[in-house]
Amino acid sequence: MSMEDYDYLFKIVLIGNAGVGKTCLVRRFTQGLFPPGQGATIGVDFMIKTVEIKGEKVKLQIWDTAGQERFRSITQSYYRSANALILTYDITCEDSFRCLPEWLREIEQYANNQVVTILVGNKIDLAEKREVLRQRAEDFAEAQSMLYLETSAKESDNVEKLFLDLACELIREAKQNKLDNSDTAPMPGEGKTISYLSCCNIN
Amino acid sequence: MAAEDLPSEFDVVILGTGLAESVVAAACSRVGQRVLHVDRRSYYAANWASFTFNALLTWIQEIQAESLSEEVQDRSSLVEEGEELIYLSGSDSASISNLQVFCYVSEEAEEEEEPANTTEEEEAGAAGEGAAKEPSETESAGSKEEEAGEAAEGDEQAAQEQGEEPKADQPQPSAPPSQSEPTRKKISYTQLVKEGRRFNIDLVSKLMYSRGSLVDLLIKSNVSRYAEFKNVTRILTYRHGSVEQVPCSRADVFASRQLSVVEKRKLMRFLTSCVEETEEHQAYNGRPYLEFLREQQLGDNLQHFLLHSIAMVTEDTLTKVGLASTRHFLRCLGRYGNTPFLFPVYGLGEIPQCFCRMSAVFGGIYCLRHSVSCLIVDKDSNRCKAVIDSRGQRISCSHFVVEDGFVGADRKVATPTRLLSRAVLITDASVLPGDSEQQVSLVTVPPTDGRPAVNMVELSPSTMTCIPGTYLVHLTCQSVGSAYEDLSPVVTRMFCMAECQDEENRPAVLWCLYFNMADGSGVEPEGHDLPSNVYVCSGPDGALGHEHAIKQAESIFLKILPEEEFCPPAPNPEDIIYDGENTSPTSIGEEEEEEGLTAAGGEGEEKQQEQQEEETSLQPEE
Repeated sequence: MSMEDYDYLFKIVLIGNAGVGKTCLVRRFTQGLFPPGQGATIGVDFMIKTVEIKGEKVKLQIWDTAGQERFRSITQSYYRSANALILTYDITCEDSFRCLPEWLREIEQYANNQVVTILVGNKIDLAEKREVLRQRAEDFAEAQSMLYLETSAKESDNVEKLFLDLACELIREAKQNKLDNSDTAPMPGEGKTISYLSCCNIN
Repeated sequence: MAAEDLPSEFDVVILGTGLAESVVAAACSRVGQRVLHVDRRSYYAANWASFTFNALLTWIQEIQAESLSEEVQDRSSLVEEGEELIYLSGSDSASISNLQVFCYVSEEAEEEEEPANTTEEEEAGAAGEGAAKEPSETESAGSKEEEAGEAAEGDEQAAQEQGEEPKADQPQPSAPPSQSEPTRKKISYTQLVKEGRRFNIDLVSKLMYSRGSLVDLLIKSNVSRYAEFKNVTRILTYRHGSVEQVPCSRADVFASRQLSVVEKRKLMRFLTSCVEETEEHQAYNGRPYLEFLREQQLGDNLQHFLLHSIAMVTEDTLTKVGLASTRHFLRCLGRYGNTPFLFPVYGLGEIPQCFCRMSAVFGGIYCLRHSVSCLIVDKDSNRCKAVIDSRGQRISCSHFVVEDGFVGADRKVATPTRLLSRAVLITDASVLPGDSEQQVSLVTVPPTDGRPAVNMVELSPSTMTCIPGTYLVHLTCQSVGSAYEDLSPVVTRMFCMAECQDEENRPAVLWCLYFNMADGSGVEPEGHDLPSNVYVCSGPDGALGHEHAIKQAESIFLKILPEEEFCPPAPNPEDIIYDGENTSPTSIGEEEEEEGLTAAGGEGEEKQQEQQEEETSLQPEE
């Protein structure tokens, strides 16, 4: 590899029911856009944003579900080698909250053990329609040892914070990992800085 | 997770998520076709799937439990004037038969068994226990009488051959003898179940030729970004009762300690001369490759390596074919590593899923646990104009692609009878321990006593297919008898069963599975009595590479869309520039896609640099 323009590269993966605003969160963060009434995302695999944290350049590669969550048919390979998962639900939709345990099972099954998971309650701009109390979600997140944050992709509330907090957490873990660089370290997908060249990536 | 209804109109409906079907799905979506891709199963990749240990136990149970009686729902109410129905087969159980499971490790104390099952995900936990206790009944999944007979025969033979190891036939894992004696083994059945999530056990065993059509397609289409790959690090062969390394690259040849200086020189000269076709080669075209090799006076060692491990052909293969395979091998060598092969991290089951992801990214709709129960055919044109899904919804389509297993036997012109024999072993050591414990090896076992040549792939934990301290070994050959009859002699020679103190220091088998799978190469794309816009994809074939499925997918795609390009490169997400003024960069219509997304034309240094990097990673390590 020649000149790198970043110090860290992390793969962040979004999951959660259809319609909870996953794509809007990514859009808002990476492009500052909020496209109203948008449909599925065509032709876009992941989005990139490079942020600077304490003088270090962190490149975030943010992957969306490509609509496969609609019929609960996400490919396992989607979860592979993710450094962080953003599990999203819609605070105005009880059903999207009730599905969280199902999503957690899927995470447990396919994501690597060290993946950082954050629970996000989106659409706080629709406070008057709220169906899931903040306390309830916080309790749930705590019980599952996840971070919790409420956002509005529309108003851009906490969106920046969500990704920056995640980036900080991932850097912290990456440094930790480097320190106790044990014999379990060279597992692909479990290392914290993913490099596409670690294996013989053919792309 | 909501049970939404599916749209009722698509261009292409695809049933089954095997490799060929998934490639067709990706190719069609990529050029803007509206694709619906469904699979009756709850997992992707059909017979190409990789399973966690627990999911494999569930799969075994399902195969054993599957009855032939199918509930066929009458859908005639959905048929209109001038239409008729073709019912599809509800299950594909016929493709797997002669399933046998053997467990050679003991369970630990009872109390540790319990938490293992409760901590694992519910469905598989229960299955794990069930399969652990019951596999002593060797099942023939096909449940046809003759097959059952065959399986029973296999058992008798097993009992004779393994007289000193009666445990092989009573796989009850809690068999007592091993518990009293101290052994080198630390891995128990409980641990296999407990850490089952970290296994990715392939139903098929293949490798990717680094210049084969699959790798070319992955690169061309950018689907390769969804997966990571490992080099196969060694090619081994079984000869005179022991495992030897085959020197195949220039570096290997020079480093080899088995070869004399003369042999090294001969081998290098031969390999160099192979690259171009000569008149001498042509003269031998119609004669066996072995004769040609003999003529070169290479000696037994080299002849064995060249025939069985490099060309990977049999003694009666013609020179033309033998030379072609040798050349293919040499072309693939050194592109990424010391052998011509790659293996996907997390197993082969990732590959079809990567193509499905590509299809979804371009608008393909995915629905597992969902099937197509019948086709609606227009009587006049004899074309399939719609399908009826498992929920009774009528979905119109212009083309229908279906996995061979779902086509009823009555619709097939000739039922293929060729089978593959498969064995999957979890072992505790490599067949050839080396400096590194993370070797990924192809082992060629030449044919003996009328038994076919066996391809063996030994995967280390570095491929993320098995847990540390274990190896996953896949054996494949063309069937002569049942999988057990074909492969257990090889297994018995190269491994020791149970926790025996093996003088020869062979690796021990902890757990193993035998089964037969229908050989997809026997399926003719036109070998069915179905409308002309229905395309049948065969299941996995027995060859080491993926050429068959990829060629098939391409030919189906070209029949559906003769004018379109097959899997053009997907835009690199890092090259996509969003037009800030256009507030809807995402839109469903494909024309708008073209407008909304623009390929990078040198905007932003960061992106360019990024691209350069990608390109360097494309360079093979030549």
